[in-house]
Amino acid sequence: MTSQSSATSRSSAAARRQLANMALFMGPATVLLFMFFIAPVVVDVFVAFTDMGRSLRVTEFTTANFERLLTNDSRIGPTMAVTFTYVLLTLGIFNVTFGLLLALTTTALPERSGAFFRAIWLLPRMSPSVVYALLWAWVIGPTDRGLINQVAVGWLGLEPVDLLSNQPMLLIVLANGFIGASMGMIIFTSAIRAIPEHLFHAARVDGAGPLAVIWHITLPALRWPLSFITVYQTLSLLVSFEYIWLITNGGPFYDTMVFALYVYKRAFENGQYAYGAALSLILVAIGIAASLLMWRLLDMKRLLQTPKIEVQ
Amino acid sequence: MTKAKLPFGAFTGIAVLAASAVLAPAVVSAEEVTINLWSRADRSGPLRAGNIVAAADQLNRMLETTGSETRVVIDLFENNADGFDADALDLFKAFAVDRGPDIYVLAHEWIGAFVEEGLAYQLDDHIEANPELYDDVIDTLWESVAYKGSRYGIPQDSEIRMFFYDKNMLRQIGKDEAFIEGLPALVESGEFTIYDMTDLAKEVVDGGAAEYGIVHRPNVGPDFQMLMKSFGIDQYNADEGKLQISETQLAAFFDWLKYSVDAGVIPANMTAWSWDEVHASFRTDKTSFIKFHGIWNVPAQLETRGLTKDTYFDEIGWTHSPAAEAGGAPANLSHPIIYAVSAESEHPELAALIIGLASQNYLNTAHAVTTGHTPINHGQAAMPRFVEEGWALRAGAPMLEYASFMPNHAMIGQYNAIVFTGIQAVETGRLEPKDAAAFVVEELQAELGDELVVLD
Repeated sequence: MTSQSSATSRSSAAARRQLANMALFMGPATVLLFMFFIAPVVVDVFVAFTDMGRSLRVTEFTTANFERLLTNDSRIGPTMAVTFTYVLLTLGIFNVTFGLLLALTTTALPERSGAFFRAIWLLPRMSPSVVYALLWAWVIGPTDRGLINQVAVGWLGLEPVDLLSNQPMLLIVLANGFIGASMGMIIFTSAIRAIPEHLFHAARVDGAGPLAVIWHITLPALRWPLSFITVYQTLSLLVSFEYIWLITNGGPFYDTMVFALYVYKRAFENGQYAYGAALSLILVAIGIAASLLMWRLLDMKRLLQTPKIEVQ
Repeated sequence: MTKAKLPFGAFTGIAVLAASAVLAPAVVSAEEVTINLWSRADRSGPLRAGNIVAAADQLNRMLETTGSETRVVIDLFENNADGFDADALDLFKAFAVDRGPDIYVLAHEWIGAFVEEGLAYQLDDHIEANPELYDDVIDTLWESVAYKGSRYGIPQDSEIRMFFYDKNMLRQIGKDEAFIEGLPALVESGEFTIYDMTDLAKEVVDGGAAEYGIVHRPNVGPDFQMLMKSFGIDQYNADEGKLQISETQLAAFFDWLKYSVDAGVIPANMTAWSWDEVHASFRTDKTSFIKFHGIWNVPAQLETRGLTKDTYFDEIGWTHSPAAEAGGAPANLSHPIIYAVSAESEHPELAALIIGLASQNYLNTAHAVTTGHTPINHGQAAMPRFVEEGWALRAGAPMLEYASFMPNHAMIGQYNAIVFTGIQAVETGRLEPKDAAAFVVEELQAELGDELVVLD
C-alpha cells in the first residue's frame, strides 16, 4: 500500500514536472502565436461583421460588408490580377532565381569577396523602409531632378525616363526584388556551405565542369531551401505593400494596386474599417489556400518529418 | 465693410466675466483647468495651435488681474499626419479610445463628419452670446463651419487658391504689357476661357519660354474643385444635403484635361511628380508657366525667386480658374481651417471662449501674415502689421468674390479621392475622358451609395 502510494506520488510529480516543462518551453511560443497570429484573425472576423466606420464605433452586426464585397466592388478582380502578377514576377525573377544566382556566385568567389558582395546585397534590407522608398522616389523622379534623368538627360542626352508612369509594375518588382533577393541569398548560401566538400572534389575528379557541379551536386542539395523560400516569400509578398505604397501609392490609376494595399487604403485611408476587415479575410483565405497548395506540390511534409537519426 | 472695434478695456471685462461664468462650476477646488488641444503638426500654420496657447495665456493674465487663483493650462498634442484628411481620421481614433481633445483644428469639410458622430459642440449660442468676439468675422466664412443649419466651428483662417502665372515668360514670347496685366480682367469677364488658357500656355511652351505649360498638385486635394467649378460642377446638393455629380460636366472637365495633355501643356505624368518637383518647377527652376495652388505660396515664391513686395507683381500674376465657355463665370477656391470644440468636453464653453480669444485681430493677424493666409476678421485689413506684411493677402482679398468652399459633407474626402483617380486615368492615357467620367460616377455610386445624387 505504501509502495503503491509512493509510486502514485512519483508519477504525479513526474506529470507535474512534464506539465511545467511544457508550459516553460511551449508557453511563450503559444502565447505569441495566439497574440500575433490567431487573435488578429479572430478580431478581423469580428470586425468584418460589424458596421465599424471611421469613428471606430460598432452600432450593429451585419453582413453588408460581404454583400458589398460580392456584388458591388469592381476593383477586387483587377487588384487581384495585379497582385498575382507582382508576386509571380518578384518571386520568379528576384526572390528565388536571383537569390540563387547570388548564392552560387558569391560562394564560388574567394571568402572575403563573396562576403563583400553579399553584404552589398544586404544593404537594402538593412535600410529603414521609408529611407529606401524615398531613395527610389528620388532615383526615378520623372523630371530632371530624378537621378536616372540627371544621367539619362543631363549626361547622355537621352529622352527623359519615367518608370513611374510607363513601367510601374517593373518598378515595384525591382524595388521589392532588390530587398527580397537577399533573403534567398542567405538561406541558399548557408545550404551550399553545408554540402560536404568531398562531393565537389569527387565530382571534379570525375571530370565535372562548374555547371555540371551546380546541376548535379549543388541544386539537388538546395531542394528544401528552394521550397521553403518559395512558400515563405509567396506568403510574404501577398501581404506586403509598404514599398508599393511609398513609391507608387498603387498608381498610376490602379496599375500597381496590389490587394493588400487596396485593403489598407479602404480601411485606413477611407476609415472603412469593417469593410477593410471583410476584404482582408479574402487575403487570409488566399494565404491559407496558397500554403496548402504549395505544401502539397512541394512535398513540404517530407521536409518537416522527424529526422531518422536522433541525437540522444 | 470694416466694422467698429470695441475698446480693449470693455473687451477684457467681458472676457473675464465670461471666463468667470464658464469656470465657476469647474473651479470650486481646482487651481488648474486643463484644456486638451489637438492640432496637426503643420509647417504652414504653427500658430493655429500657438494662438490657442497665447489666448489661454491672455485669459490667465485676466484671471490674475481679478485675483482669481484659477489658471487654464493648454495640453497640446500635435499630430504628425500627412494631411488634414489623415489627421481627421487619427482624431476619430483618439475620440474612440476616450483620448479626444477639448479643442481641435480641422479642415472645414470634415465638420459634418464630426457632427454626425456627435463629436462637435454646437456653437450658435456661444457665437450669439459673444458678439464682441465674433461680430467682425467675414460673413462668408461662416458658411465653412455650418452643417445642417447650425455652426459647429470658428473659422481659423482662409485662403485663395488660384492660377499663378509667370509674366516674364509671356514677355519672352512677345506678349505686350497690356495683355499681360489685363489677363486677370479678361478671365474675370468670362472672355478668356480655360481652353484659351491652355492655348496660351502652349504658345509659351512652343515659344521655348517654359518646359511645362500648367502644373498642378500631384496628389488628392481640394485644388481640382475650382477647375470642376469652371465646368459648372457643383459638388453639393444643398436641398438634399447630399453630394452630387454630373457625368456630362465631368466628361467636359476631363476633355479639357486631355486637350491640355495632348497639347503638351499639362505633363502626362503630372501625378507622378513629387511635391518638391512641382514647387521647384515654378519657384526655383522656372520651368513651368502656370501653377495652380494657394496664396500661401507667396512667401516661398518671394524667397526662392528673390522678389520683394515691390517687384513681386512684375514677375508673377494671379488669376481665377477661367470659365469653361466664353461668357461663363470663373472660379477659385477657399479652404478654411477651423477650430471646433468637442461635444464630449467637460468645459465646452471655456474651450469656446479660448477659441474666441484666439480668433481676435492681433493673434489671427500673426498667423495670417506669417503663413500667407487671408484674415478672418474685417478689421485685420486695417492693422499696421497687416498693411505692411500682408500686402499679398490684401491684393488677393477681392478674388474671394469668386470663391467657393468644399462641401461640409462627411464623404467629401472619398469623393475627391475618386475624382482624382479619374484625373490620373485621363492624364496618363489609361482612360478616355468619357470612360473616365463613367468610371468615376460608377465608383462614386458604389462608394457613396445614397449620399450621392447623380444628375445625368
